[in-house]
Amino acid sequence: MSNTPVSQSSVSFLDRHHLLLRRLHSLSGIVPIGVFLIAHLVTNSSIMWGKVGLRGDGADMSLAEGGAFYFHKEVVWINNSIPHLLLIELTLWAAIAFHSVLGFVYAFSGRSNTRNYGYGANWRYTLQRISGYIGILFIFYHVATLRWGWSFLVPGGTTWSHHYAASTLALSLRGGTEITLAGVLVSAFYFVGITLLVFHFANGLWTSAITWGLTVSQRAQQQWGYACAAIGTGLMLAAWASLLGFFLLDPVQATRVEQAYYQKYGQPIPKRHHLTDQNITPLKTEPSTLGKN
Amino acid sequence: MHTPSTAKPGTRTITMKIKRCDGPGKPERWESFSLSVTTGQGMNIIAALQVIAAKPVTVEGSRTTPVVWDSGCLEEVCGACTMVVNGKVRQTCSALLDQIAPNDGDVVTLEPMSKFPVVRDLSVNRQRVFHNLKRVSAWVPIDGTYALGPGPRETPAEQEVRYTLSTCMSCGCCLEACPQFNQEPDSKNWDTAFLGAHAISQARLFNSHATGKELAPQRLDALSGPGGVGDCGNAQNCVKVCPKKIPLTESIGAMGRAVTIHAVKKLFTMK
Repeated sequence: MSNTPVSQSSVSFLDRHHLLLRRLHSLSGIVPIGVFLIAHLVTNSSIMWGKVGLRGDGADMSLAEGGAFYFHKEVVWINNSIPHLLLIELTLWAAIAFHSVLGFVYAFSGRSNTRNYGYGANWRYTLQRISGYIGILFIFYHVATLRWGWSFLVPGGTTWSHHYAASTLALSLRGGTEITLAGVLVSAFYFVGITLLVFHFANGLWTSAITWGLTVSQRAQQQWGYACAAIGTGLMLAAWASLLGFFLLDPVQATRVEQAYYQKYGQPIPKRHHLTDQNITPLKTEPSTLGKN
Repeated sequence: MHTPSTAKPGTRTITMKIKRCDGPGKPERWESFSLSVTTGQGMNIIAALQVIAAKPVTVEGSRTTPVVWDSGCLEEVCGACTMVVNGKVRQTCSALLDQIAPNDGDVVTLEPMSKFPVVRDLSVNRQRVFHNLKRVSAWVPIDGTYALGPGPRETPAEQEVRYTLSTCMSCGCCLEACPQFNQEPDSKNWDTAFLGAHAISQARLFNSHATGKELAPQRLDALSGPGGVGDCGNAQNCVKVCPKKIPLTESIGAMGRAVTIHAVKKLFTMK
């Protein structure tokens, strides 16, 4: 209740659309960003559980080979079957930019005080901001190196390709065919990044329910808190499984699996731009109904 | 806060470490005072400050000015004596030395609230707390030129919720502990800076009053605008430090819901 009337022009854009922007910030964290995060982690963690997804096919493959095969199949599906993929990506990038820019503005308006008030929710408040700052750095590195092809930032200089999604990702995380120190450092950054971002999503899911007024009573907030902790734990396991799976994946063997995929479907084997100094032959698998559907 | 005393019988010596400031814009300094406390006498911080005022000599032996502080009811219902005690905000009248400094040699640090301008020493100007009540029209509109007759009936269930909310004394604890509510020296910004849990909860109190809800749209407009309920960061310190145990985070959730519905209604009626 302002006692002195304020002219429209002297009020900032942020203040004029205060509630709308606040709520769009909250919503954008869930749709599309959170929804994408879930799909992304489910797909990526298939490097660990993918052999199960083959449902009995590829019985002659090891767990890692089956995982790479299933993951590769998913990536090919995403690239060949989802319409308007670039439009979806642009929407996602725009949403992340919007969420992070407003997030910075909002975060700078607060002053953390966990030193004197070390309560759990207050720590989560502070962590939500820290995870946002580090998380956006990680997302930028992640997308720039693996999507925009900034291979000069990748240890070993690998350029990620969706034709060889598993093997080029393993190379980018390990820093080469063998695990290098630079690869360990990049993977450690990945560990910090994905851990903080999964926390950011789960905690954001909890606070958004209060923001929108879905959880009002303390009991409702507590119960939804347990649900968010469960969602966060599940996604955290998927995130860690993805990272570990690709970090431990042998890039040469993964390339052989990918080539076997193309052979199986009678598709030409795409030209390789990684491990060009090596002669790699497709993995021999049983002539089964592998990945028929 | 309501921990039982662990102080042994007898007399002990404690130190009161106090943040001093001679006036607005003046430099801050720390001064320590030695104090003899006898277990069981129920000495609170206000009584300790009175003893220090009677003989304002620091532990170094230098004579200083008496410490300035605010207090009123001395029974934790007015909020005037709210200070930061050992890093946490609370009322000092209910801060008993047998509980917070039970051992010989214990140190009690006293600071003024950091979110409001210091008048002198431990006394602060909490005018913004009351300004924020005005922002959300935290009253029941009954002024008029003729008698309005008896008000509408209140159900016991509503009374129960509203009674707890009504015990708020505007002490400022929830604001002091809030990471989103910060010192705003320029009063021109008071209308757009975060309201804090106190005013949000009072808006809920008066929105749920049968007559008070007449002003509900106006309160929800204020809560939708800059500094409104959307600026809450859900750190939830407010509910932890509230001396009246008001469910402030429930009020924030309830007002978040009311603002959501209000905004959707406005979207469709274009009013």
